[in-house]
Amino acid sequence: MIALQIRDLCVRYGAHRILQGVSLEVPAGSVVGLVGPSGCGKTTLLRAIAGLVPPDAGELRLNGRPVEPGAAGVGILFQEDALLPWRTARENVALGLRIRGVRASVALQEADRWLERVGLAGFGGYYPHLLSGGMKKRVALAQVLATRPGLLLLDEPFANLDAIVRRLLQADVLSLVREAGVTVLMVTHDLEEAVLLCERVAVMSAGPSARIARTYPVPFPYPRDLVGLRAAPAFGHLLGEIWTDLRREVARMGWEVPA
Amino acid sequence: MRRVGALLVFLAAWEAASRLGWVSPLVAPPPSRVAVVLADLFGSGRIWAHVTATLVEAFAGLVLGIGVGGLLGLAAALLPPLAELLQPVMGLLNAVPRVILAPLFVIWLGIGLASKVALSFLLVAVTVFFAVFSGVREIDRRLVDRVRTLGGGPGHLVREVYLPSVMAWLLGSLKVAVGFAFTGAVVGEFVASSRGLGYLLSFAQSTYNAALTLALISLVVAVTLTIFVLFERLERRVFRWKFAQPVPTPGRQRPGGGHQAGAAARARSREWWAAHPPGHAGEAHTPRSSSEA
Repeated sequence: MIALQIRDLCVRYGAHRILQGVSLEVPAGSVVGLVGPSGCGKTTLLRAIAGLVPPDAGELRLNGRPVEPGAAGVGILFQEDALLPWRTARENVALGLRIRGVRASVALQEADRWLERVGLAGFGGYYPHLLSGGMKKRVALAQVLATRPGLLLLDEPFANLDAIVRRLLQADVLSLVREAGVTVLMVTHDLEEAVLLCERVAVMSAGPSARIARTYPVPFPYPRDLVGLRAAPAFGHLLGEIWTDLRREVARMGWEVPA
Repeated sequence: MRRVGALLVFLAAWEAASRLGWVSPLVAPPPSRVAVVLADLFGSGRIWAHVTATLVEAFAGLVLGIGVGGLLGLAAALLPPLAELLQPVMGLLNAVPRVILAPLFVIWLGIGLASKVALSFLLVAVTVFFAVFSGVREIDRRLVDRVRTLGGGPGHLVREVYLPSVMAWLLGSLKVAVGFAFTGAVVGEFVASSRGLGYLLSFAQSTYNAALTLALISLVVAVTLTIFVLFERLERRVFRWKFAQPVPTPGRQRPGGGHQAGAAARARSREWWAAHPPGHAGEAHTPRSSSEA
């Protein structure tokens, strides 16, 4: 079953055409990665799906219904922390529920459960500036998942984290979203990360007027282990194929790419 | 404590210099003399009418300035055509020393309360206008996007993002605005009035009464500082999140930034997901194994 269906999507800022004819299907409950040259419009695509950028043309459907701005069922996790600094971790997690009309006391109890689920039990009373980068990411994840989205959009969620925190968080996020059966579309610059976490990897073409150039199925079963994957010839072959595509698109943007 | 100590040392040195004849008591009367004048002003009760007049003028100007300046700042930030209209005017008023308008206000509004309130209002309104205007303009777009993607409408945005963001700018500028409110009131009284601390200052200056002048200056400083401290306390209360400290938390912390959830929590999590499938209608969500990855 297809959860997210994007058909001939076009987005432009003024006269500048960012996306031109983007078509992509994301099966329900799957994790799909989106890679592409910097500035090609990956984030714009996520923002359009989340309803933050109005599409110029095309169709966006979630479970067969048109996606509307702020629609229940779509959650987004940005690259940078977007927690309200004047709210505690539990108040931040409860925010989405309160916006949806859940009583404050119930929303806070739910927030505590979610903080426990992301491994932050006992940190509910902390303000964001008292938390580390990884902890803030976990709070943001709990905030989004607490609203029980059917589709989760991740915009480079593991960027700016050190290697150990990134690996732990990748494993936890994957575990949580697959446990919840949430459909995920994830933008990343890290090809290894894309292959490690995703069931499909879509390569976007160079901008302007970017589209989906090719989609690669990732044939490795879960659970995946990066060290084990690196030893498998098929992993290197797949990375090589995606990288060849990506390099061509990067070169089309006028940048020199070393061999 | 160091500040109080430094002030006491300064006052003691001044007292000694005046008593030893190093400085003329007519030019710089000793602090003890200033204290006696202050005590006399309060003891006789003559000062209260003047203090009340200045306080009323300053507070009226402060309240009106915050209200009008705040509303104009908010409107200009949200309506670009209005910003184009207001920004040059406010910029000009901000650039020139606004107290030069005091004589004009006396001509327009007379020597009564209105001219002092008008000057005080103008000084405060321009300051607050720029604070609110910048506050709304500088709002973190990521927070706006976050609330919108969580389904928040304009009301949620105002409550959760706009108001707290603008408060940071507003409270910061209010401490300056309090000083401006008193400047407007006292300068207005100084130019033309029949009562108020500025009027008394003008009288003291015209009679070369340095002790009375210093006593009145001390009084204005004390009142302004008191209100300044009150606003600072309000700021600390409103922004208590900025001053929050970590509290000891039970459990082991995990390098990934959280606590090891453990098998029991995972099992509870699976049960919970089974009972609460993702809310979007029409989608089949089958909880999967949590041992992956």
